[in-house]
Amino acid sequence: MTSKPDTANQPAGRVLVLLDGSRLSLDALEAAADIAHARGAEVLGIFVEEVNLLRSAGYGWSREVGASSGQARPLDAARVHARMQALAEQARRSLSLAMARRGIPQDLKLCRGQVVSEVLNLASPGDLLVLGRVGWSGIPGARIGSTARALVLQAPGDVLLWTRSRPRPQGRVVVLLNHDQGANHRAVRVGADLALQYHQPLSVLVRTTDSDPQRITEDLLGYLQQEGIAARVRLLPMASASAAARALKEEGASQLVISRSCSLFTEPGADSLLMELNLPLTVTP
Amino acid sequence: MTSPTALTEDQIYHRCPPDKLSFETTETLEDLDQPLGQERVLRALEFGAGMAARGFNLFVLGPSGAGKNELVERFLAKHSSSQPVPPDWCHVYNFESSDKPRVLELPAGKGREFRKDMQELTNELKTAVPATFESEEYQARLQELQEEVARRQHQGLFEIQEEANRSNIAMITTQAGFTFAPMRDGEVIEPDEYKKFSDEEKELVESKVEDLQKKLQQAIQQIPRLRKEVRERIHALNEEMVQLTLGSPFGELREKWAGVPPVLEHLNTVRNDIVEHAEAFQDDGNGPPAGLLNRYRVNLMVDNACTEGAPVIYEDLPNHQHLAGQIEHRSHQGNLYTDFTLIKGGSLHRANGGYLIVDARRILTHPMAWESLKRVLFSGEIRIESLERLYGLVSTVSLQPEPIPVNVKVVLLGDRMLYYLLSHYDPDFLDLFKVEADFEDDVDRDDGSYELYARMIATMARSAKTRHLDRGAVARLIEHASRLASDQKKLTAHDRVLKDLLSEADHWAARSDSDLITDSHIQQAIDERDYRASRVRERSLEQIRRGVVMIDTSGDVTGQVNGLSVLRLGAVMFGQPTRITATARPGKGQVVDIEREVKLGGPIHSKAVMILSRFLANRYAPMSELSLSASLAFEQSYGGVEGDSASVAETCVLLSAISGVPLRQSLAVTGSMNQHGEVQAVGGVNEKIEGFFNVCKQAGDVDGQGILLPASNVEHLMLNTDVRTAVREGRFSIYPVRHINEAIALMTGMDPGEPDEDGAFPEGSFNRRVADRLAEFAEVGRKKDDNGDNGENGNGAKDDDQ
Repeated sequence: MTSKPDTANQPAGRVLVLLDGSRLSLDALEAAADIAHARGAEVLGIFVEEVNLLRSAGYGWSREVGASSGQARPLDAARVHARMQALAEQARRSLSLAMARRGIPQDLKLCRGQVVSEVLNLASPGDLLVLGRVGWSGIPGARIGSTARALVLQAPGDVLLWTRSRPRPQGRVVVLLNHDQGANHRAVRVGADLALQYHQPLSVLVRTTDSDPQRITEDLLGYLQQEGIAARVRLLPMASASAAARALKEEGASQLVISRSCSLFTEPGADSLLMELNLPLTVTP
Repeated sequence: MTSPTALTEDQIYHRCPPDKLSFETTETLEDLDQPLGQERVLRALEFGAGMAARGFNLFVLGPSGAGKNELVERFLAKHSSSQPVPPDWCHVYNFESSDKPRVLELPAGKGREFRKDMQELTNELKTAVPATFESEEYQARLQELQEEVARRQHQGLFEIQEEANRSNIAMITTQAGFTFAPMRDGEVIEPDEYKKFSDEEKELVESKVEDLQKKLQQAIQQIPRLRKEVRERIHALNEEMVQLTLGSPFGELREKWAGVPPVLEHLNTVRNDIVEHAEAFQDDGNGPPAGLLNRYRVNLMVDNACTEGAPVIYEDLPNHQHLAGQIEHRSHQGNLYTDFTLIKGGSLHRANGGYLIVDARRILTHPMAWESLKRVLFSGEIRIESLERLYGLVSTVSLQPEPIPVNVKVVLLGDRMLYYLLSHYDPDFLDLFKVEADFEDDVDRDDGSYELYARMIATMARSAKTRHLDRGAVARLIEHASRLASDQKKLTAHDRVLKDLLSEADHWAARSDSDLITDSHIQQAIDERDYRASRVRERSLEQIRRGVVMIDTSGDVTGQVNGLSVLRLGAVMFGQPTRITATARPGKGQVVDIEREVKLGGPIHSKAVMILSRFLANRYAPMSELSLSASLAFEQSYGGVEGDSASVAETCVLLSAISGVPLRQSLAVTGSMNQHGEVQAVGGVNEKIEGFFNVCKQAGDVDGQGILLPASNVEHLMLNTDVRTAVREGRFSIYPVRHINEAIALMTGMDPGEPDEDGAFPEGSFNRRVADRLAEFAEVGRKKDDNGDNGENGNGAKDDDQ
């Protein structure tokens, strides 16, 4: 288990939750509410009316092709507006309901524009951004939406990509690191916070090509000791993304923390890693 | 005419002199291999057991307690030991039709092995198959597959997106799908601005959008096919991996069972089923579902691993389920369910290829059991069906196991009546039970049979674990066996009676600390049995002693005679005298049987009375009308009369009543008579004589009393010591009579008289008196007729034939 982190006494950043009315975003809202409750942070809901969509609806000839059926239907502006309003209203209701239950101060920000830029405008480095891993239908079968992908890469603070996963009471919070990256400590810190919040043990997996693993372990253990964090440390060979995914499965991961600068994350196989693991994923800068 | 002489002691008892027996005790005697005197049964068994044709099943008939079961079991055990051991039978899951479990035939003793092999295979499957799915190889290949398919799935969409981007058209995600719009610098162009485009530009954009939409539609509609393809390819991969895993264990099994084609066939089916259900073996933490693995089990229904020769099965509770097997159910949370492992074989399954012994009475008393047995024998196969299904009481889905071909020889054991009833009323019976094995009740008694009978007793004593018998005891037992057979020239073959007597004698020998059973112990056993059963007999004698039931044993009385009857209560018989009286007066040739008139007389008794009435008419009024109105009655008889053994006594008493000549009350009479006056044999003579002797004894000293019995019954006499002593001392006489005239002479002391050529009896003879008296009756009758009187009956009926 981890000890109480020192940062808990510092004024917490906000929890930003991106709402688009999809089922997964409602799940993410609940997760955000739990985190905000644990941190004593305030919640800012963000609902963005996608300007590109509004504009596309303005063309008389535009059609909507069903994501599952492949059928083309006329798309008109009035209907899209009505949908947007309904979704915004639903987002407001869900947000106030979820937060009122926990007594968390909340606000909903309605904006119009492009989602990524609007969110980036609102986010600051101390904020945690929570969003569903995919938004509306997206591309069938895709496990990570384009918005999520862009925000993970650009957000100033931590990003939690929420997904609906099988509950694992015996699971562990796993932090996946590169031995040569600089942002390891932040990722470990976030992992320790999550472990504390979910009452789960913490594991730190380090991918390494180093011939002297002793050095890495000592370095990491030194940090953990200094921060008072109890964690299991394992070294992984620098193999493919899928090998890392299997290692995570073996570890019994229920949540994953990964640094944006982790080499794995930028590898071509990252998508498959994320596909393989149906886990809530926190990406730290 | 000479009166018959009384029988001597030797004539009324056939002794077994101990010197006819050449041993000291039965210890030295060898066991009998075959039962004594049952050659007919043994030949029938030999024939029936060896006869291969269908329908030659056996019915062994004989009285209960004759030792049928023991004899048949012993015979069949010996007979079957040289026959081949029949095969084992298993039920296995039917993968094509799960409610019709298949049946496999295996060489004897191989069933167990097969069951064990399949159990081991199942255990191996539990670990080996999940391990295959866990392997790096499988995981890597699975991932490759999934990635490839995902790539293909996305590729189409990405290509469309790329194509759109190249044409400056945005592909935008909506709530329910996608839409396209022209864009500039990553943003969708305002519709108002678009309006400013030239018509050519607009046409270009719109046709491109339309083109993209069509492509997108096509790409999306491809997705289900792609998904199906991936499923199929994963399934193929699973099959391939399982095939590889199963290769080794199945190879070994196939090699081992190469000589048993049905097993090979089953193994192939199991292998295919495992491959088909490969996904179910993937480890989800609980292992493969038990229901799946249960299907590979083997239900060994008939196990002949320990059978030597052909099986001989005795079914002591022959109901439908025990014979034909049943399908059991398990209760789980209030529901009943079953599968092929719950099929239980019956005794017909176990006896298949051998012999099944069944008690006929028991099988007939169980619902449907007899019908089921017949159906199996007719069809030559056993089909397991529940009783409620046979009755049509349930319609729930159940199993219908594949029927098993059956080749069984059924041996039914039962009493004779059952055999004759079944032969008469069941049309199938003689088709199925063609071999009749009839038990002898008695065996011949001659000098040659003593030794064998002694060996039989020795065998019996050993099997009953009693003490050995000395020579005197065996002699006494042989004498008693003649008494039980009611014949001086026969010995009873009734197993149970002799065994019981031996056991009782052994008990009394134990009480007297004797190492051997002696004649005194045998006698004590006989006496004790007799005493235990004597309550009713004693009450009856008491009634006579106190005069409640009137019997005279001395003096002479007209129209009254002592007849003899036998009472059977359970296994006990005893005789007692009955007073028979007669009256006679002029009439129309009628003899009224009072017993018959009040429906207390049976048909045989009525027949006997008719015979005697015709005898009278024929003898005393051959050419004229018999003017007689007579009546006959069994006094103080309230329970009914049957049989013809009193017809000699009835004739005597009737003639006495007609002639007015008194009859000796010291003599009792038994015997039946034909129309010519010849005396014929009757049953129960020993009991009758002893019964009258007891009455005489309690009335005072036995002195001068006696019995008249048919001469043909003499060889049935095996009388007790008391009677023998009185006969030896001349105090009690037993007269064998052949003709009614001999009985008349003894009962009246008069010469009966033979008719001359004219049919007239000599003066002063008994028959003359009867004839004269009947002539007087006729005269009186004629006078009455002349006076216009029709006689007491008033119907003017002539001497009728009734």
